[in-house]
Amino acid sequence: MISSLARRLPLLLAVGFFTAGPLLLFVGPANALNYTQTTRRNAGTPNSTISVKKDGKVVKYGNKYIIYKAPSSDLDALGEALYMENCASCHGAQANGVPANGTSGAFPDLVGLGPATIDFWVDSGRMPAKDVRAIEAPRRQPALTPNQALAISAWVNSLSPSYPDIPTPNLKNANVAEGAALFALNCAACHTIEGDGDALAFDTFAPSLRHIPAFQVVEAIRTGPANMPRFTGNLSDKEVDDIVQYVTTEIQHPNNPGGFGLGGLGPVAEGFVGLLLGVGILVLICYWIGERS
Amino acid sequence: MSDVTVPTTKRAKKAAEGPYGKIGQAINELDDRLGVAKGGRTFMDKIFPDHWSFMLGEIALYSFVILLVTGIYLTFYYVPSVAHVIYHGSYKPLDGQSVTQAFASTVNISFAVRGGLLMRQMHHWACDIFVGSIVVHMARVFFTGAFRKPRELNWTIGLTLMILAIGNGFLGYSLPDDLVSGTGIRIAYSIMESIPLVGTYLAFFVFGGNFPGTATIPRFFILHVLILPLVIIGLVTAHLFLLVRQKHTQFPGEGKTEKNVVGTPMFPVFMAKTTGFLFIVGGVTALLGAFAQINPIWQFGPYDAARISYAVQPDFYMGFLDGALRIWPSWSFASFGHTIPFEVFVPAVILPGIIFNIAYVWPMLERKFTHDNEIHNLLDRPSQRPKRTAAGVAVLVFISMLFIASSTDLIANFFHLSLNYVLWAMRFLVIVTPFIAYPITYKICKELQGVKGGGKRKTPNVVTRTVEGEYLATPTPSYSEDVMEELHPTPVPIFIEAEPDEPVESGVRTVDR
Repeated sequence: MISSLARRLPLLLAVGFFTAGPLLLFVGPANALNYTQTTRRNAGTPNSTISVKKDGKVVKYGNKYIIYKAPSSDLDALGEALYMENCASCHGAQANGVPANGTSGAFPDLVGLGPATIDFWVDSGRMPAKDVRAIEAPRRQPALTPNQALAISAWVNSLSPSYPDIPTPNLKNANVAEGAALFALNCAACHTIEGDGDALAFDTFAPSLRHIPAFQVVEAIRTGPANMPRFTGNLSDKEVDDIVQYVTTEIQHPNNPGGFGLGGLGPVAEGFVGLLLGVGILVLICYWIGERS
Repeated sequence: MSDVTVPTTKRAKKAAEGPYGKIGQAINELDDRLGVAKGGRTFMDKIFPDHWSFMLGEIALYSFVILLVTGIYLTFYYVPSVAHVIYHGSYKPLDGQSVTQAFASTVNISFAVRGGLLMRQMHHWACDIFVGSIVVHMARVFFTGAFRKPRELNWTIGLTLMILAIGNGFLGYSLPDDLVSGTGIRIAYSIMESIPLVGTYLAFFVFGGNFPGTATIPRFFILHVLILPLVIIGLVTAHLFLLVRQKHTQFPGEGKTEKNVVGTPMFPVFMAKTTGFLFIVGGVTALLGAFAQINPIWQFGPYDAARISYAVQPDFYMGFLDGALRIWPSWSFASFGHTIPFEVFVPAVILPGIIFNIAYVWPMLERKFTHDNEIHNLLDRPSQRPKRTAAGVAVLVFISMLFIASSTDLIANFFHLSLNYVLWAMRFLVIVTPFIAYPITYKICKELQGVKGGGKRKTPNVVTRTVEGEYLATPTPSYSEDVMEELHPTPVPIFIEAEPDEPVESGVRTVDR
């Protein structure tokens, strides 16, 4: 018996190792709550260097790169009224959404999403949606003011407090060069390297980043709206700050030392200019010269 | 000493110089030693037919000259190496990034070298114009039937030049080793790998091992700046030599026959036009290079196999290949431990192979079908050969549709359509549109044949008002050049031997072939 166990020891060890390893991953986040340093894992949650409590609840936290601040609970009443007026018809009076049925798609449950999610969707004009059947609501002129958006997020958050709160990136501490490299690695695969956005499969799309304000970039990265993955574990607050700096400077205001930027469409626009303007003008000049003898 | 009269007065000095001044003297000195007068006279008296479309090929020739000049400047500063360096330059978003020397030197050409960005952009725009004008020139040659006997060889050389231009453009586009071009090399590697049996060996041979490898950039560099340009220069020389030897084709009309060439002599008329055109092509390229940004590699960043950008297309001349790859269904064959990726092999190897081979054998094909073995120096009007014109248009439409298919994502984004629908629409359009284009073109050609005075310029009506208030429209006579009549050529001038009393007129002449 013992000998058979001894024979199987390497196997048992291996099984133990591979089952305990993933379990350790689950233990990790719980321990992380005690940390005061911002790590990759607790980014966007109140476990950071700066932490302000009010009535036993963390209302402001963050570090020198990004400060997350909970919307004031004074806005709750205004938020409830605005919610009932603008959102309740689809997401329900309790904000717990409507499941899919035969005639319409599902409207998602908003409880516990955190203020940044609600603020992002409302403040970027995506919600209230213009076309509720669209696969993905596009950015448009916001129907509600930034303060009204905050109020709605405050009320929805009061139902079941959660994170991340409304971020304010501190671009003074950002490094644009690191942001450029992180952008190429994490964002360019959908938003394109020039940040113009493009169509993805089945009616979904990656929106253009040309007109997004800095705090919404953080909100999008941390909450992952629509098809976008939610970047929490793999990007620290510093890295997000770097990306925001790159997006708000080089992407939104490219220097274009070579002349007109041609809309950032790359070789397609270049091909049209080269063929229609370059070859086109030369063919016309050819006609002009050639018809003179 | 005493018998040599030294001219003293201005008039006497001028008389001693002869009728052509100092230049004439210099040419005489040259002729005494090298005997250039005879060849030079033949060359200067060369008759070149007048039609604006005969100058399209010159756009290609002169943009190639600009490519050579700007390219030489770029080689002074470009470093063809994939050794990694930390970039510390004036472009802050790349500061501190580990990049290859090829990428760093290209960014430095753009930001640190005086005039470097202008040269880079002119080089790239000149490349786009080079390939574009070759296509336009080829279309002219095809639709007017200029490829027919005796010029089949020159058609073959021209087609080879186009393929070399596309290839060299791709190599040059890859040299900066930026994110977008690195993706292009990756695709080129996969295309090579997709060839059954020899693919892997071929890819290893060309790239010096696995992708990305360190041999790619140095090899591409030497191919791009030395080997392919030399082959292109050689073939351009052969192309022009054959053009001079076989004499240029001409459109029928005003005394033009299969046996003669009607036009203006090389010197001074054609020389003035063509030299002016060189400067115009240079000017347009310089304007584009100065005002339109092309290939901003600093925005793309260095190539890294882990990074990828969406919405990446190759330069336009590779667009049809990219489009074919995009719309081809994912069919592949995996058996006996081997995979033949038809989804890459068919659109990227077989399809361009078929297109270019049809173009190569077209002169022979046409001779076979028309049983026309005559020598043709007079051109066709496109409407006179409806079947050829329609076939050419159908092929152009097919390639254009493949080209459009290379930007399916941008079309979907721009028109807010589903990418999947755009993809399926392009699959149908690529197949269907050539079959629509053929009969429409055929019918238009047939209609044009039936139009009275087709191919001739319209003459305006002169409207007059009589005293009574009645309006009368009187047609003006047709243009003299459009009327077929016997031409009375001016004699070919002799520049060297005889000295004509009056300046030589540089008008239209006729010489025998």
